[in-house]
Amino acid sequence: MTSLMGNQSRGETIGYSFSEPTSANVKQHSFYPYTDNGGSTLGITGSDFAILAGDTRSTSGYNINSRMVPKVFRIGGDDETGEGAQVLLSVVGFAADGNALKEKLDTMVKMYKYKHGKPMSVSACAQRLSTILYEKRFFPYYVHAILAGLDEEGVGALYSYDPVGSYEREQCRAAGAASSLIMPFLDNQVNFKNQYIPGSGAGHALEAVKAEPLPKDTVKQLVRDAFTSAVERHIEVGDGLQMMIITKEGIEEVFIPLKQD
Amino acid sequence: MTSIGTGYDLSNSVFSPDGRNFQVEYAVKAVENGGTAIGIRCKDGVVLAVEKIVTSKLLKAGANKRIASVDRHVGIVSAGLVPDGRHFVSRARDEASSWRSTYKGPIPTSALANRLGGYVQAYTLYSSVRPFGITAIVGGWDSEAELPVDGQVGTGPKSGSGGKVEGAKAGGPGLYMIEPSGLYWGYYGAATGKGRQTAKAELEKLDLSAGNLSLVDGVKEAARIIYVAHEDSKDKDFELEMTWISSVDGPTKGRHEEVPKELFDEAEKAAKQSMVGDDEEEEEKTQGEQMEE
Amino acid sequence: MNHFPEAWGRPRNDVYGAYDHSYLQTTGPKAHTSSPAVTGTSVVGVKFNGGVAIATDNLASYGSLARFSDVKRLRTFGDKAIVGFGGDVSDMQYLDRLLASMDINENYSPRGNMLNAKNLHTYLAKVFYKRRSEFNPLWNHVLVAGFDGEGEPFLSSADLLGTTFSAPHLATGFGAHLAVPILRRKFPEGMPLEEISQEDAVQALKDCLKVLFYRDARSIDKYSIAVVTKDGIDLKEDEQIQGQSWAFAERIKGYGAQTV
Repeated sequence: MTSLMGNQSRGETIGYSFSEPTSANVKQHSFYPYTDNGGSTLGITGSDFAILAGDTRSTSGYNINSRMVPKVFRIGGDDETGEGAQVLLSVVGFAADGNALKEKLDTMVKMYKYKHGKPMSVSACAQRLSTILYEKRFFPYYVHAILAGLDEEGVGALYSYDPVGSYEREQCRAAGAASSLIMPFLDNQVNFKNQYIPGSGAGHALEAVKAEPLPKDTVKQLVRDAFTSAVERHIEVGDGLQMMIITKEGIEEVFIPLKQD
Repeated sequence: MTSIGTGYDLSNSVFSPDGRNFQVEYAVKAVENGGTAIGIRCKDGVVLAVEKIVTSKLLKAGANKRIASVDRHVGIVSAGLVPDGRHFVSRARDEASSWRSTYKGPIPTSALANRLGGYVQAYTLYSSVRPFGITAIVGGWDSEAELPVDGQVGTGPKSGSGGKVEGAKAGGPGLYMIEPSGLYWGYYGAATGKGRQTAKAELEKLDLSAGNLSLVDGVKEAARIIYVAHEDSKDKDFELEMTWISSVDGPTKGRHEEVPKELFDEAEKAAKQSMVGDDEEEEEKTQGEQMEE
Repeated sequence: MNHFPEAWGRPRNDVYGAYDHSYLQTTGPKAHTSSPAVTGTSVVGVKFNGGVAIATDNLASYGSLARFSDVKRLRTFGDKAIVGFGGDVSDMQYLDRLLASMDINENYSPRGNMLNAKNLHTYLAKVFYKRRSEFNPLWNHVLVAGFDGEGEPFLSSADLLGTTFSAPHLATGFGAHLAVPILRRKFPEGMPLEEISQEDAVQALKDCLKVLFYRDARSIDKYSIAVVTKDGIDLKEDEQIQGQSWAFAERIKGYGAQTV
């Protein structure tokens, strides 16, 4: 005699207290390996500098985990303080991935310096970061990264990435929770989109204002304005603004309070 | 050694016709050249001490420790080839860690000695290896308190079934000495290395089996014995190194630790003083011996 | 007679049919933890002038069943740091053993265990992140309390995803909702640590645990509390929440059978 259970067809009810067997044979993973830690980042370049900035709030859902979790890092520095670094990286999205990505790139850039006896160029570092991201194409680092530094000519360089390593060099870029709020502001204020020279013509003959690199102090103020505005409209952004300015003199870091609501 | 030169001493694991393993006996010779190491099993703990011969003035004083910890509650000191001793300690640590991952608790000193004895013995069985050139003294304290299982989170039922057995006795001091052959015994007092004969004679005077010697007195005796045993190699400089393991309610809380500086200095000072006393008595005799050399 | 030894002692195929292997999973994904089983609830911690205080209750729940009521969820690491565990208890035990073996290994050096709370937190976060990346998470949210390399009080969090953050006061689980607002009101983030006394910090944690006991259905009024200072760890594991008042419960309307 074969077992009673074995003879029972799948659809039949076994008993009152037994739940129906599901048709799926394979148990699905209910573990989701990502979370969104909110926050926003922003990078703008000038003729001889680059600025990377981010808010310092960390969130889980409606909770504020901490008001002081920096998102901008020095890459390839000589010690744990990041002293001597010539590249900046900002990461926003899933913070644990962001941290892992930062550590990995930092190690790569350090190894480059030990092996070749010279610091990695920003363009090489940018390509390396792309490779690191693409290596995990099928289990990506869930982050939007922005890389900043000075290129071979000493001009501000900024590279922005999607989570799987697609990247391009840009004049300015906003990423993260409030990117859709900040980016149009940047288009208008950095690249002078939708700005025309008054009286230069009518309709399509209107001449657009030509974009040119902005001075450092102007850009600093733009970054502050971008964030104070984003804080008003986005709940995941706030607490503090971390700004890193890279010039040929080195890296300057400033913290500015933002609203904590 | 009648069989020397007959070829039976050239390969490990080969018996001579009269039933000896010469490679093992040569390993014992290596031990006999090493600095004296001793262990004393006291009523409330164990002391380990070693005469560390200073081979160069360029060596930093107090560095290059010779007594090692295994898990939290066991110490190992050895006489003979130092690198062999290091490997032996490494194996002991692996055994202790593997015991923990299996049984979720510290390895009893007896079980550790047993496993190490087996390990050393295996090095007498194959022609591809040589025996350990050390004799190791393993001292430990098995907790007399009821230990929680590693990672245990609760205390369990306070009464009824599953309750604790009252007054059950467990644990205590353990002292074992393992020789190159793999032979090991448990001891009240153990000594090996160059000054072992002198040290053993001194240890016997302590009447350790009576179980009266306290741990602190044991430390002082250990220091003195190392100094006495050093007379055998008086021309060489040495450093004294001492560790101890007390009961769970004692000064080290069942852990193997270095003897604290204060007690160490006191013990060493007393040891030096006792030597000065001996020197005065034996001054004439010593001079006579030196003439012979 | 079948002369193959592997056939000995099992029912004959020709009489009973071939062995049914179907209960053994041979295909499909490898099963890992996809939800915790026996769990602990909140952990709360706060930094004060010269140290850190951290507390948990002593309950381990099995779903909604209060399964074990004497579970110690504050685990010490050497004499330097404390880890407060929320989440799966068996994973906590695994990590506790992992940390114990690390402490033993560190003590083999003559300098002893040099790892401080900050080092420990970095390590734990990496363990969590590695395991989540293998889709085999350790289902915990922990707080690590102690001192950093500069000797400053250290309090930081790490969870099953490897997410980390640090703040003057932290709480996991339900405590993130209920305890953090209390702590933020008592000790605003801008407040210098020098102005927070050990007594105030400990009292604040006790208040938080009381509120959590009132409102968190997976909590209990027995708790553990630890204070880490330069002098070492002061860990108390069998405490009882004092001064409970359930008078507020009389005023709660609209739940259960009572509708008016």
